[in-house]
Amino acid sequence: MTNKLSASVAGGTESPLLRRRSGFAHRRSESMGAYTLLLPFLLLLLLAGLIPAAYALWTSLVNRTGSFAGIDNYVNVVTDFRFTSTFLNVFATMVLYVPLIVIIAVVFALLIHASSRRLSASVRFIFYLPGAFAGIANFVLWLYILDPTVSPVRWIWSVLGYDSLGEVAQGSNVPMILSLILLFQGVGSWMLIVYGALNTIPEELIEAAELDGANAFQRAWLIVLPILKPWIAYLSIMNIAYALQLFLEPTLLGNATNGKISPEWTPNQLSFTFAYGVGDLGAAAAMSIILLVLTLGIGLFIVTRTDLFGDAE
Amino acid sequence: MMTTSSARLSKAARIATLLAASAVFVYLVSAFLLAAFRSQGDVVAGGIIDGLSFQNLVYNWQQIVGFGSGVFLIWLQNSLIVALFAAAVAVFAAVSGGYALARLRFAGRKSILFATLLTMVIPNTVLVIPIFLGVAAVGMVGKLLPVIIIMAFFPFGVYLAFIHFSSAMPKELVEAARVDGCSELGIFARIALPISKQPIALVFFFAFVADWTNYFLPLVLLPSTKSTTVPVGLQQMISQSQLYDPTAAAGLNVELYIPQLVLAALVQAIPVLIVFLSVQRYLVRGVTVGAVKG
Repeated sequence: MTNKLSASVAGGTESPLLRRRSGFAHRRSESMGAYTLLLPFLLLLLLAGLIPAAYALWTSLVNRTGSFAGIDNYVNVVTDFRFTSTFLNVFATMVLYVPLIVIIAVVFALLIHASSRRLSASVRFIFYLPGAFAGIANFVLWLYILDPTVSPVRWIWSVLGYDSLGEVAQGSNVPMILSLILLFQGVGSWMLIVYGALNTIPEELIEAAELDGANAFQRAWLIVLPILKPWIAYLSIMNIAYALQLFLEPTLLGNATNGKISPEWTPNQLSFTFAYGVGDLGAAAAMSIILLVLTLGIGLFIVTRTDLFGDAE
Repeated sequence: MMTTSSARLSKAARIATLLAASAVFVYLVSAFLLAAFRSQGDVVAGGIIDGLSFQNLVYNWQQIVGFGSGVFLIWLQNSLIVALFAAAVAVFAAVSGGYALARLRFAGRKSILFATLLTMVIPNTVLVIPIFLGVAAVGMVGKLLPVIIIMAFFPFGVYLAFIHFSSAMPKELVEAARVDGCSELGIFARIALPISKQPIALVFFFAFVADWTNYFLPLVLLPSTKSTTVPVGLQQMISQSQLYDPTAAAGLNVELYIPQLVLAALVQAIPVLIVFLSVQRYLVRGVTVGAVKG
């Protein structure tokens, strides 16, 4: 039945013209079906992505009275006395955080990959555990750890000579503290991703290298790392984009230390102050567009250059 | 002989490293969990197990619900409404959209796929302020609906469903159904949907966790104390705690110290845990693709 039907649709004795027309009709109904099925997602993309972005672009180009202002808002933002320092702050955090998470995620993925099934499963679970407290709950956990008066690791703070949260979270320590907070909640899932990538390496490849006399270190360095390279690139770039967007952790740390940390410590916080604190929507929009362009650049790089979504495209 | 002993040494070093790192995680997480069963006095005195009792847990909970005459429960309710509806819509959009991208041919398919990937790898915080500007322009700040709509946009879910249908549903199946006279929507409803348990569970889990823990969006779109969600509410508890703001806390009718804040954070983690446990068996299979968003 099916065979006969498909033979007739595929052409059989029909004229080429008829065949083309039926193919045409079929393709049109296929397109219509596809657009119908995609409609909810496309609507959401429009409402949550394109319209806000377009509206922000428009807002960034007009002044408070609604007339065209050119790049005035951008000039105001870039020359704001806090603008450069917000980027320097997130940069100082990235320089610590990105190498830390890349090295720890890759090294521990390699270690559990080489371990017995049981040990590997327990370590994976333990590392993933803090992921359940993502965001604010993880921050409360770190408040407890960082405050020398209550900390379960207060000996560390007393060795360093800190008596209060304000001393622990003083300016020069902030990038390190933020790195630890982010690392603690994120390293488990990144380790899982690298571990998943390791599992795709054919065992024969490793065995062949072993037979050729390569030791464990050589095998890791010469065979495994090159295969992991696109994943390491992805891990680094995603975390750079993530650090650029920091908001929750520095805001709350500033709250808890009674303003020891500036409420405009990161670009997103500065944007928030423009929008909420001083009601300068043009400046807030301009700041958002600057950040959007930077992250779009990072996103384009991941999608087109890292080879990770090769099949999907 | 040399190689076996050096191999044994490297095995011992590997296991020691894994155990030491795991011990750090276990110590910090259990200290955190146990703090909810202690009093502030116990926590200040030190250690991680002194003073454990259920009376402390009950007392700490009473402080939490006493804060702002029970506003914590309203936050929980708001969070549940927002996260459940947003995750449900995200699943609906992801499964139908992912299927269309994976198994149907149409003009614009590549561009839509590209836009999905691009928006997926961009942190969602980047559009929060622009979204605020738009929502404020239509006078909807303080309403749950815009928050639900914005959170329901979950391109990572579309990508997950796309991967699922690309690998789990042969093209020939679609062709055969089409030949049998099935409409495009009929094929989706009768053939694709019944084999979608895996992407539905995965997308629901990742969307729910992302929405439940989202802080920046509700902070901006739900600024008033009564209408907001747990993460933003927790931040208000932290900033009004006697620990961090003695002056503002003078008028506080409850104690908000470390044990109470820890318990509130743990209660916030419970729904995540429930969802995690109920979709666990799907996660095991899909965790490699699933973990991509981090």
